[in-house]
Amino acid sequence: MRKANASHVMLFFIMLVVGFLISYSFQWTKERKDLNVSPEQWEKEYETRKLLINQEETNRKLQEELFQKQKKVTEIEEQLKKEKELYYNLVEDVEKLRMFVGEVGVVGEGIEVTLEDSSYVPEGENVNNYIVHESHIFKVVNELLISGATAVAINGQRIFHHSYIICNGPVVTVDGNQFPAPFVISAIGDAEVLTQALNIAGGVLDQLAYENIVVKVEKKKEIKMGPYLSNELDD
Amino acid sequence: MWLPVIGILLGIILGLYSNIQIPDEYSNYLSIAILAALDTLFGGFRAYLQNSYDELVFVSGFFFNILLAASLAFLGVHLGVDLYLVAMFAFGVRLFQNIAVIRRILIAKWNSGRNTHKKKSNF
Repeated sequence: MRKANASHVMLFFIMLVVGFLISYSFQWTKERKDLNVSPEQWEKEYETRKLLINQEETNRKLQEELFQKQKKVTEIEEQLKKEKELYYNLVEDVEKLRMFVGEVGVVGEGIEVTLEDSSYVPEGENVNNYIVHESHIFKVVNELLISGATAVAINGQRIFHHSYIICNGPVVTVDGNQFPAPFVISAIGDAEVLTQALNIAGGVLDQLAYENIVVKVEKKKEIKMGPYLSNELDD
Repeated sequence: MWLPVIGILLGIILGLYSNIQIPDEYSNYLSIAILAALDTLFGGFRAYLQNSYDELVFVSGFFFNILLAASLAFLGVHLGVDLYLVAMFAFGVRLFQNIAVIRRILIAKWNSGRNTHKKKSNF
């Protein structure tokens, strides 16, 4: 009985070892199989890799294309910007020129010169020597233009280089529009410079005073001139 | 009687739940150890059936065979010759022989048990 038990214990250990070895190697091989990659998997991986590489190549090409397109777009934008600048400058110029031509109204600092007939005519004197003639207006306008006035108007009527002024009895016709005295000659420009130009000793104001005309010079912060009134200029 | 069965079950469970990691190059040792163990096991079973079972021979053979196979494999790895194939071959042949003998003995026993009156001759 005792011997049989001992041999059973021995057998128990041997069986333990055998069982352990077999199951362990079984489990281990299974784990290794999971780690190993079969040829089909290799092939599949290879295919996938190839696909990926192709995809990346296409991506790169597309990326390059995109860069080129972006460059082009930038160039076009640059060009557009330049054109816009050009247009902007042109528009500014046009705006300015329009102001000069009188198609639009202008506003600015300037002076107003009022010429009035003399209120007192002594007995036996010629009345003609005491009223404002177109030559007086010419003098003032020319002096103003020479002194750098950018816009000149007579009683609100803009004067241009091809305007005409006619003395017509008691009224003065400017570009076909008749104006009675007093004549208000407004000029846009540097008010300081303009007044000083008129006030030069022996200058326009002195001459006018000598010819018995009442002259009033006013500096104004803001002078408004409407657009060109007459259409006779177009003739 | 149930002790060996419990032993093999316990061994299997231990083997399945052990998390020992062994390097790849030792897989040869493992396979050869298994082969040696199986060979000795079936040898012992055959001896038992032939009534020539000796415990000391069995136990010493079990461990000695495993050790011998493992050392052969070790030597093979270090010599650059696949010496573990020798052990594999030897154990494989012996395993098949042992199993063949066991089969014959079992068949003979079964035959003699079924026909006690008949005389068996093909052994």
